[in-house]
Amino acid sequence: MTAPASSERSAWTRYVPFLAVVGAAVAIQFLVTSEFPARLDNFFSDPVDSLGAWGQVNRRTGTHPLFTLVFNPLTSAVDGGIELLETILSWLPWYILPTGIFVLIARRRRFLDATVAAAAMIYPGLMGLWDPTIETLALMSFAVLVSAAIGIPLGIWAAFRPRVEATLRPFLDIMQTVPAFVYFLPLLILFGIGKTNGAIATIIYALPPVVRLTTLGIRSVPKQSVEASDMFGASTSQTLFKVQIPTAMPTILAGISQTIMMALGIVVLAALVSAGGLGGLVLQSLQARRSGRGIAVGLAIVAVAMILDRVGRSLADSDRSKKLSQPARYGLLGGLFVGTAGGRLMEWTRFPSIWAPRSFDWIDTGVDWAIANWSPYTRAINDFIGGGIVVPLRNFFIGTVSWPALMLLVAFIVWRMAGPRLAVFSVLAMAFIGLIGLWDLSIDTVIQIMIAVIIAVVIAVPLGVMAGRNERVEAALGPILDGLQTIPSLVYIIPVVTLFTLGPMPGIIASVLYAMVPGVRITALGIRNVPSESVEASETFGATRPQTMFGVRIPLAAPTIMTGINQVIMMVLAMVVIAGLVGGGALGFETVRALTRNLYGHGFEVGLAIALIAMVLDRSTQALARRFQPPAAT
Amino acid sequence: MTSTAPSETPVLSTEHVWKVFGQKPERAVQLAEAGESRSDILAETGCTIGVRDVSFAVKPGETFVVMGLSGSGKSTLIRCAARLIDVTRGTVHIDGADFTAMNSQQLREVRRKKLSMVFQHFGLFPHRRVIDNACYGLEIQGVAKEERHERALEVLGVVGLSGFEYHYPQQLSGGMQQRVGLARALCVEPEILFFDEPFSALDPLIRRDMQDELIRLQQEMKRTIVFITHDFAEAIKLGDRIAIMKDGAFDQVGTAAELIRNPATDYVREFTEDIPKAKVLTARDIMSSGGDSSRRVESSASVLSLVPMLLNDPTPIAVTEDGFVIGQVDKATVATFMDEA
Ligand SMILES: Nc1ncnc2c1ncn2[C@@H]1O[C@H](COP(=O)(O)OP(=O)(O)OP(=O)(O)O)[C@@H](O)[C@H]1O
Ligand SMILES: [Mg+2]
Repeated sequence: MTAPASSERSAWTRYVPFLAVVGAAVAIQFLVTSEFPARLDNFFSDPVDSLGAWGQVNRRTGTHPLFTLVFNPLTSAVDGGIELLETILSWLPWYILPTGIFVLIARRRRFLDATVAAAAMIYPGLMGLWDPTIETLALMSFAVLVSAAIGIPLGIWAAFRPRVEATLRPFLDIMQTVPAFVYFLPLLILFGIGKTNGAIATIIYALPPVVRLTTLGIRSVPKQSVEASDMFGASTSQTLFKVQIPTAMPTILAGISQTIMMALGIVVLAALVSAGGLGGLVLQSLQARRSGRGIAVGLAIVAVAMILDRVGRSLADSDRSKKLSQPARYGLLGGLFVGTAGGRLMEWTRFPSIWAPRSFDWIDTGVDWAIANWSPYTRAINDFIGGGIVVPLRNFFIGTVSWPALMLLVAFIVWRMAGPRLAVFSVLAMAFIGLIGLWDLSIDTVIQIMIAVIIAVVIAVPLGVMAGRNERVEAALGPILDGLQTIPSLVYIIPVVTLFTLGPMPGIIASVLYAMVPGVRITALGIRNVPSESVEASETFGATRPQTMFGVRIPLAAPTIMTGINQVIMMVLAMVVIAGLVGGGALGFETVRALTRNLYGHGFEVGLAIALIAMVLDRSTQALARRFQPPAAT
Repeated sequence: MTSTAPSETPVLSTEHVWKVFGQKPERAVQLAEAGESRSDILAETGCTIGVRDVSFAVKPGETFVVMGLSGSGKSTLIRCAARLIDVTRGTVHIDGADFTAMNSQQLREVRRKKLSMVFQHFGLFPHRRVIDNACYGLEIQGVAKEERHERALEVLGVVGLSGFEYHYPQQLSGGMQQRVGLARALCVEPEILFFDEPFSALDPLIRRDMQDELIRLQQEMKRTIVFITHDFAEAIKLGDRIAIMKDGAFDQVGTAAELIRNPATDYVREFTEDIPKAKVLTARDIMSSGGDSSRRVESSASVLSLVPMLLNDPTPIAVTEDGFVIGQVDKATVATFMDEA
């Protein structure tokens, strides 16, 4: 370790390695051209393409046992499961769904939740979005149910077996690091286009939080509670079901809530592989630049999230003491039954819609007005970020800097942040990306990611500090942040796209809006959790407010703030495909192209490149966050 | 509590119990037997000696208190006795059966029928109402809901929690939470009750209430109790016999009076020094045999309360129990306990 020595070294010697690297980079600059020799251009894409073609044939007229015995039955099972849910939901008379949801939640006297969820079920009906909402509700319930059914037992298993947890951890890490859309393509080969693909990608992406939080919940059950149960002679399963799971339930539920949020986050993307439903309508609104309709549909997606969340909570509520009285329960059940029978007889299955998504078209008028009046400013911003920053950076890193010099610089930065191992990994990752011919596109992507991250951090950290210091600021920000996180980002991009029209700007703005949420939240948390004693100690020395802020609060909150920044980066990465869809180009757009045109090989390579970029960014910022952590007590 | 020392066979006994934490327990035991100190063994093997060759026997209805400073191995000992952890060496017997050799099926049987434990941090189930916490043991045994609720209501009444049956534990104060812990332990009518510092997390006043409550309950129910504490005053108040524990081993085992009058080591003496002996010791503790006198005191009267009587009239006083004279106290003996007080 050089840590003790470095503090004694004089200021300028610390820059020696940096100067050496820059010098070397400049020297290399004169020796090598900037273009990366893409030697493995078709190394992956050809075999993957033939694999894709092979899969395509086998899915239809399959003879290969892998398809006849595994994938095709799995596809039918998933399709069948979702369709069954859909059939049941649309068979019921329309008013039975909201009332049924109300009764289900109200059985534990959670009347507010029940009302909210019932209203959330009515909204899409009124809006004329009943059928696509049922479709999305069925797909999401299926994905969330399967995630819970796999994730909870897996989490419990991992809580009891450290080996299992150690084996799972790298997979969960990768599943959370790699943006969800990367899964779509390999799944396309196995399951083809359609709901199954969307559902399975959603399940994979949404699984880690349930597993993690279940393990955490079971582990944090106080040891004495478990021992108390043991002392009464409870068997392992009695203790598990009567003590450990119920005690861990709030944490497990938090995991399921997160799973629902994550599943919802890819509803729109799932539409890219023809999962249909509300996601498809959002995509259509985007293509038609209809902000109002996008918002109308987006709110229906939020409604689905609220229904799933409230129903999930109510199902997990084991508190019998709040049960309704027996006559009330039977009365309500009987009412539902009679209502269903009557409704079926009368064929009241279509929701009497009074609006349609076009009812929100007035929003478009507002956007049109904004375009008419603000275009000088938006154009100026567009020119500044696009022409003034993105394009020159792109030219510089792609056209001017030679590839070995760039690799050297990146390796040096990563090495300073996270040490030699990740530096070597980043060099290998860059070499690999270059060899498969995605050098330029990847640099373009990273530049846009970095710009979005910097803007998001510059906005989020000060906001977070204010929110952490002042509860009123936090209360005011709360609903805005909630909204930004629940409303699918594509929805609020539509007006932005309409305003800024071309180039990377809409993607960057959408990424910033979406990604700053965890930045604000986690920073606020870090600032609020600074021990008040440390602050008071500083104040008793007569420190001014800024002195206390920069000398005590921010340094003590630094590890948490860094974690927030790491989250910001991960969220920006999750937006890459959406940014690409709305004019950002680069790897995001290539993903969309590959998905919509069945370019298996190309999509596979693009996915790998995005995954590698995500891993390097994630690991290096996490390492930085750890460096801010004060040394642990020994 | 009265210290009638019944001479039946022990309900619970441990024979040469060792507990070593770490990778090389056998080596650590060898070193310890060769006389090496705890810290040397830790340095050499990386193992911590939790319990070091402890043997004791608890008679039916007796309250056996284990007292020692933090880290002396009290919890480890009680957890070995309850088999929450396995012993490294030695045996534990419950009602004459080898508890340490039982398979998990037999272990569960014994726990269901005979044992209960009250924990320092209560170990309550936050998702269950007070009544469902209390009847947990019966639920595990498969007792029907009506029956177990009936029993739980009764026990909750006994520990003074009537009216709180349908609250959640978190809604109660610390003292009341520990009453729930106590009710939960009593509900199954165990033969042996283990207490691991049950009152240490409570305020002094509430702690005293709980001690009095336990004494009251024990007078009625006469269970066999193993009670852990780090508070010598509590040990004296509750224990029929007290074991003083240090570095995993017992320094001395005896009644409060024996410990106070003849401390075996300096360590034991240190504890006894701070105790207002005249208040703690009773007539029974300091009496000598024989003698009758028209002046009589109950055997449970404190030494301090004898002082005014002896100041008026210095002749010995007879000590009675259940109406019979069982001994006498004289002024000189009382005086020896007064100058230290
Ligand atoms: N699971 C364990 N692994 C390793 N060492 C342990 C373990 N449990 C206890 N010890 C060690 O055994 C010794 C005795 O601990 P124990 O908890 O029995 O002490 P105690 O007398 O109950 O103390 P306290 O009054 O603090 O509860 C301590 O040195 C402790 O560090
Ligand atoms: Mg202890």
